[in-house]
Amino acid sequence: MVEPLVSVRNIKKYFDVGEGELKAVDDVSFDIYPKETFGLVGESGCGKSTAARTIIRLYEPTGGQMFFEGVNIYELSRHEMQDMRRNFQMIFQDPYASLNPRMTVEEIVSEPLRVHHIYDNSKERRDRVIQLLELVGLNEEHSLRFPHEFSGGQRQRIGIARALALNPKFIVCDEPISALDVSIQAQVVNLLKRLQDELGLTYLFIAHDLSMVRYISDRVGVMYLGHLAEVASSEELYDNPIHPYTKALLSAIPIPDPEIQRSRRRIILEGDVPSPINPEDNCRFADRCPYAIKICKEIAPELEEIEKDHFVACHRANDM
Amino acid sequence: MEKLLEVKDLAVSFQTFFGEVEAVRGVSFHVNKKETVALVGESGCGKSVTASSIMQLLPMPPAFYKSGQILFEGEDIIKKSEKEMQQIRGSQISMIFQDPMTSLNPTMKIGKQIVEGLVKNKKLSPSEAEKKAIDMLNLVSVPQPEKRIKQYPHEFSGGMRQRVMIAIAMVSNPKLLIADEPTTALDVTVQAQILDLMKEIQNQFDTSIILITHDLGVVADMSDRVIVMYAGQLMEEGTVYEIFKNPKHPYTRKLLGSVPRLDMDRSESLHSIEGTPPDLYAPPKGCPFFDRCDEAMVICKEYMPEREYHTDTHYSCCWLNHPMAKSVAEGSVV
Repeated sequence: MVEPLVSVRNIKKYFDVGEGELKAVDDVSFDIYPKETFGLVGESGCGKSTAARTIIRLYEPTGGQMFFEGVNIYELSRHEMQDMRRNFQMIFQDPYASLNPRMTVEEIVSEPLRVHHIYDNSKERRDRVIQLLELVGLNEEHSLRFPHEFSGGQRQRIGIARALALNPKFIVCDEPISALDVSIQAQVVNLLKRLQDELGLTYLFIAHDLSMVRYISDRVGVMYLGHLAEVASSEELYDNPIHPYTKALLSAIPIPDPEIQRSRRRIILEGDVPSPINPEDNCRFADRCPYAIKICKEIAPELEEIEKDHFVACHRANDM
Repeated sequence: MEKLLEVKDLAVSFQTFFGEVEAVRGVSFHVNKKETVALVGESGCGKSVTASSIMQLLPMPPAFYKSGQILFEGEDIIKKSEKEMQQIRGSQISMIFQDPMTSLNPTMKIGKQIVEGLVKNKKLSPSEAEKKAIDMLNLVSVPQPEKRIKQYPHEFSGGMRQRVMIAIAMVSNPKLLIADEPTTALDVTVQAQILDLMKEIQNQFDTSIILITHDLGVVADMSDRVIVMYAGQLMEEGTVYEIFKNPKHPYTRKLLGSVPRLDMDRSESLHSIEGTPPDLYAPPKGCPFFDRCDEAMVICKEYMPEREYHTDTHYSCCWLNHPMAKSVAEGSVV
């Protein structure tokens, strides 16, 4: 039995917003195993980015536990946390906003090395930076340039080089490709896959592009309004979705093939995602769900294992 | 089929501090009545500039027309004065934009924004205008329209705002609707709602649609014909089935190969297109896709290929499809 690298247990992140409590992430639990990619999907505002940031403690959690190699990182002191942070890094969505425009590429990529005092002399540090740039498909010549001299795809490569600087085990990729053009997206995804093989990385991959998530992830979790609706291996989830929300979400992705796209039956959901401020303690999807019954509007369903390694939070999961 | 819009050899440039950017370089296509034409390409390929020049929405200067005609029902709209354009915009040709938040006026009530154009052109009375605004919100399925017309854009969700944008665009029943990335800012479930709404409205009013998008799934869903654009030029055009089933241009093939499909094996790698599009300050004289193309030949660098027709509706601009390509290819592949 392989031990999970990351175990998320009942994490909660609430924000005070004046009108009440915004429950961005509410009781989410899952495991991520070494060298796998766990995809987290959902629509905007469902809490997937907040969940990711809470997991690596960029946000202080409201509740829950997060075990990294068996250590609950939420109990670590500030100082211990700083050491722990070497193990996990993040790649951000917007390659334009996540690089300091006044720093050269070398300064950007070497910053984590300087913060953690990895090398004593600048020669070694520079060698490491060049090694990292080459790893992501850039070269030495790029190291003295500034971010504005690069295209979106190249900037994302710089962000990836920075994330790899400390040899982390776990990388949170928060929509790393959604700001890029399709042809460049494929470049970055292929790079992420290659790095995973070469360096044995574990990814938490967040995206709203479901076909890309299916392609890159081993297992996928579907979030809706702060709750986890369904978790399964990516083939299983896409071939045999059980939660009504997952079904609707999958059927809404337009398939780039006119014959298939025009002949399939689509589930069009009514309305919009409700507000996460002071939500009722029922199934969050109940108001939009075509299968909702009385109990759905009263009690929030627990995430249960319906089939082997296939978890669903739905009162009617067995009827689906 | 009757042509509603015909764009002939359109070239649009921008004069900037660093020189001239040739954003659109000799583009010709047409749109028939009641059909949806998708304009596909990556950012910076000139698809939005093409659309904005049909509406004459480009700021001039810095933009200027280098050549071409835009014939709308046979009349060249490039030659129209600003006053004449104001009569055409909104009533004959309408446009919806990508970001429904920034394209609505945050300080004006929704009802007033919907009928603003009509009130100006047709001198509606306040009560007629209100009735029209309510009708339009009903048309785009916004619930409680009587209450909604008195609200401001910030009280609407993203999907609802895009419905309002469509209501504004359709208020005087235009013949041509230009939709510039209408669902890019929306979530997939909301996107599905909006695409359905656009189809319904098209059926009801026989509107022609120019759909600008980079999402090939949306193209497959919505369009009758597809035009593939790259670096300011048209690379390939055909019916949606011809483009998806039998793409002839290497760029189209690569574009289709770079998106993961739901039925794809995860161990397959995606066909990324290495490199980046050319710089339009100094566009290449040959095929602009030359340096990213695996099948490029010597001639590709020197001369831009002409249109090669595969069927009446399907052409591509690629030397590989030239009748003499085989003999050229031998021994001269770069």
